[in-house]
Parts: sequence; C-alpha cells; structure tokens
Amino acid sequence: MGRRRRLWPTYLLAGGYALLLLLPLLTLLSASLRPEGDLYAPGLLPPRPSLEAYQEALTKFPLGRFLLNSLLVSSLITLGVLTTSFLAAYALARLRFLGREALFGLAVALLLVPGEVTFLPLYLLVDRLGWLDSYLALTVPFLASPLGVFLLRQFLRTIPEDYFDAARIDGANHWQMLRHVALPLSAPALGALAALTFIGAWNMYLWPLVVTKSREMQTAQIAVNFILNEEVARWNVVAAAAILVLLPSLLAFLLAQRAFVRGIAMGGLKG
Amino acid sequence: MYATLSRAQRLQRHLRGQGEALIFLLPAYALFLLFLVLPLLEALWLSLHQEDLFGRGRVWTGLANYQEAVSRPEFWKSAWLTLKFALITAPLELLLGLLAALLVYRPYPGVALFRTLFFLTTAVPTAVAAVAWGWFLHPVGGLANRLLASLGLPPQPWLTSPELALPTLAVITAWAGVGFTAVLLTAGLQNIPAEILEAVEVDGAGPWTRFWRITLPLLSPTLFLVGLLVVLKSLTAFGQIHLLTRGGPAESSMVWIYRVYQDAFFNFRVPLAAAEALLLFVVLLLLAALQFWLLGRRVHYG
Repeated sequence: MGRRRRLWPTYLLAGGYALLLLLPLLTLLSASLRPEGDLYAPGLLPPRPSLEAYQEALTKFPLGRFLLNSLLVSSLITLGVLTTSFLAAYALARLRFLGREALFGLAVALLLVPGEVTFLPLYLLVDRLGWLDSYLALTVPFLASPLGVFLLRQFLRTIPEDYFDAARIDGANHWQMLRHVALPLSAPALGALAALTFIGAWNMYLWPLVVTKSREMQTAQIAVNFILNEEVARWNVVAAAAILVLLPSLLAFLLAQRAFVRGIAMGGLKG
Repeated sequence: MYATLSRAQRLQRHLRGQGEALIFLLPAYALFLLFLVLPLLEALWLSLHQEDLFGRGRVWTGLANYQEAVSRPEFWKSAWLTLKFALITAPLELLLGLLAALLVYRPYPGVALFRTLFFLTTAVPTAVAAVAWGWFLHPVGGLANRLLASLGLPPQPWLTSPELALPTLAVITAWAGVGFTAVLLTAGLQNIPAEILEAVEVDGAGPWTRFWRITLPLLSPTLFLVGLLVVLKSLTAFGQIHLLTRGGPAESSMVWIYRVYQDAFFNFRVPLAAAEALLLFVVLLLLAALQFWLLGRRVHYG
C-alpha cells in the first residue's frame, strides 16, 4: 500500500511525459479519423469519427502496393544481411586463415562509411547496371552489412570453445558446426540484428527517393512524400496514409520489442 | 594432436582451411567491395574530375572541385546550418531521452507499459514522424498554435519562416530520436551498480543529491558516447527536411547533405556534389575517430 502510494509521482510524471511525447502522433491519428468538414474543428478527439479518409487514401493510392514493396525490400535485406553476416562472422571468429585480422579490420573500417556519403556513386553504379527503378536497386546493394559482420563476429567469439570441441570430436565439419552449434546459440544476436536491419531498411528514405521513378516501385516512405504533395490541403487523407504506413512497423515493434531494444543497445554502442 | 600430422598433411589442411574460409567470406565481402569500397573510390575519382561540357567524358581537374566547394558561400552556409542543427538536436535529444530513461530504468509495477511508450518512436518511420509534425504545426489546424493561442500567445510560422524552420526541424529530429536515446541511456543507467546508490541512500542522500553526485557522473561516459552518436546521426538527417521544407524557406534548412542532393540531382553538378559529400565524410570520420578514441579510453580506465 505504502509502496503504491510512493509510486504515484512516478506514474503521474511518466504518464504525463509519455502523453506529451506522443501528442504529435495522437493528433495525426485524430486527423485521420475526421471527415473533411471536421478537419479544423478544435479538440483532440474527432467530433464525428469516421473512416472516410482511410477509404479515400486506400482507393486513391496503391497503398497496399507501397507497403508490400517496403515489406518485400526490408525482408529481403534482412534475410540477406543475416545470411552474409553470419557466414562471414563465423569464418572471422572460428576459422584460421591468412589475412583474417585484415579482413575483420576492413569490416570495422567500413562501419564508418555512412550511406549518405556513398549514395551518389552508388546511384551511378546502379544506373550503369541498368537497375534503376527495380527491386534490384532497392535491395542488392544492402544485402551485406559491416555492422552485421562486426556484431555477429563479436558474439560468436563469446561462445565457449567446449561446444565446438564436442562437435569436432563427433566428426563435425565447419558447415555442420555452423548449423548445429553456432546457429542455435546465436539466436538472440540474430534476432537483434534482424530487428535492427529491418527497421533500418523500412526507414530508408534518401536511397529509394533517388532510385525509384515509377509509382509501382515506390516504398511506403517515399509514397508518404508524394501523397503529402498531392493532397496539400486534405490532411485527413495524408494522415490516414501515414497511419497506415506506421501500423506495420509499430506492430513489429510491439511484437518484438525485446529484440528491437537489444538490437539498438548492441548496434548503438558498437561493441 | 596437431603435432602428429606430417608436414604435407598440415599443408593440405591449411589450404583446405583457406578455401573453406573463402566460401564463408565471399558473399559478404564481394558485396562490400562492389557496393561500398568501389563507390567510395568512385566518389574520390569523381571529385577529382570535371564534366566535359562537349563530350560525354570527364577530365581530370585535380582539387578544383574541392576548391570550388569551399569557395562558395552557400557551402559554408550549409556547413553552419548543419552545425546549428546538430547543436540543437543533440542536447535536446539527450535531455528528452535521459528523462525517459530515468523514468523507466528501475523496475516497478507498470514499467513495461512506460518503456513501450517511450521506446516507441524507434518504430516511427521518418516520413511518418515528419507528417505527424507537419500536421501538429499546421498554421490552421495544428495543435501547437492552438495551445499557444490558449495561452494568449500569437501563432508561430514554424516551418515557413527562415528563422524558425531549422530549429523546428531540429526539434522534430530530436523527438524522432528519443526512443533510440532512451534505449541506450536506460541500458547505461542499469549498468550503474545498485549497491553504490543504495550505499549513498543509507548515508541519507536525497534523490536530488544522488542524481547529481552519483548517477550523472557515473552515466557521463555513456552520455558522451550516445551524444556523439546522436551528433553523427543528425549530421546526415535528410528525410524530414525533404518532406517538410525541401531545404527552404530561402535555403534556411539547406543542410550539408541536402546541398549534396541538390547539387547532384537538380543542379547536375555530380563531381562537385561528390567533393561536398567527401568533405562531409571527413567531418564524420573525425567525429567517429573521437568516439573510438573515447571508447578505447573507457575500456582502459573505466
């Protein structure tokens, strides 16, 4: 009882702060639920809630296609990054070969190259390859990630040698050890990397903006930009489209919050 | 066991190991080479060439693009705007994130809900954040000006005045990053040994003293690293600026990365843009070097 009373200030403060932080999102939600006539009516709650704006956003714009594009691109990138990073990380952590330290050093150095700096020559390269306005341009350049290699290599090195020794005595080769020893033990690290990569890919803005031309290839982020430009005065439709774009990533966050948090903590401090 | 193998066997094993390693490494490193190393080198190559106005080729011009970039007043204006942007975004984001982290780092009934609410912005895509704020700050329908009006204050041209646009964008960026900062600072706070705090509590220190004398000093290395990370992130902020102001009004939010985009895709000065991008890269590298150096220090002395 006393403990609960002592917690009241915390609840009040945390609740108030959370409300304040989420206010822009709440007003967006409110705008999306208003018919056009009520758009400028005062108050946080829509006076006459309706799904009109959603209906219009969905019929006027191929939102399903945009979301599907984003989902496809983000999933492919995540799958690619997990695969390529895990293979490379396994070799860097477990195999002995010439130039191992140099190759690991290269991955660490590449960590420092932000996409915003390479997007220009990357665009020219993708143009030369004839990939502009295609899924290839949206995915292939991002199927490997230095951060992924770095994080997984660091993680694999924390697995005790004994696990691998036991497998080796049973006659397992590296492929078998990778599959049956390293892979199951790396599940938390892979989950965190997956969450980090997925959200990064889902959020990509500059790259899809420059490489997509046709509406069919646009990702959800870019679509929001175009809808905003086309529906300048009709904020309820813009808001509805934005809420629809928000829903999948919000859902993913709520379902895998643990992995997201671990991924940010892992990736954010880079070891 | 290794010693009992003959030399030939050992060599064979060694070579097989090399080949095996190659197969594991090839997918990742081939992609790195093609899509990271090569573009970086091409950016360098481009920045040292000039578009030939008549043919389609490019001619070597040495450092001319760099010279042109740094001699343009627009460039320095963009650099200054970027710095200003980072100087508003980073402290604000740290402060907002720290407040959230302080409210959720210790377990109490219901903490999970608050963690979810505070960490939530990590899942809000930049485009959605921008639109949400675009509406929130809307001159007519936005809640921000309505709140000001209810306090008897005049409405503000948040995104449409050259004075306010950049600070407003910085606030939006800080807001969008709160979840990220809160996650990292929560982890940092949880790493502070509880015994230390309990010991001072026993000594009769109030929560205020505990925070300023114990928590904050012990958190400061984390705070500094997260701060650098936030600065690095803010130096390449693009999506929210593109969506909300397009670098305007009157180029008042034309930050460095936006200038690169503008010069490459609208002014068609690709080599110049490449030089500008590489100059930005140098700044980012210097900051990252600082971060690594500090990390190293922390490992040794922490």
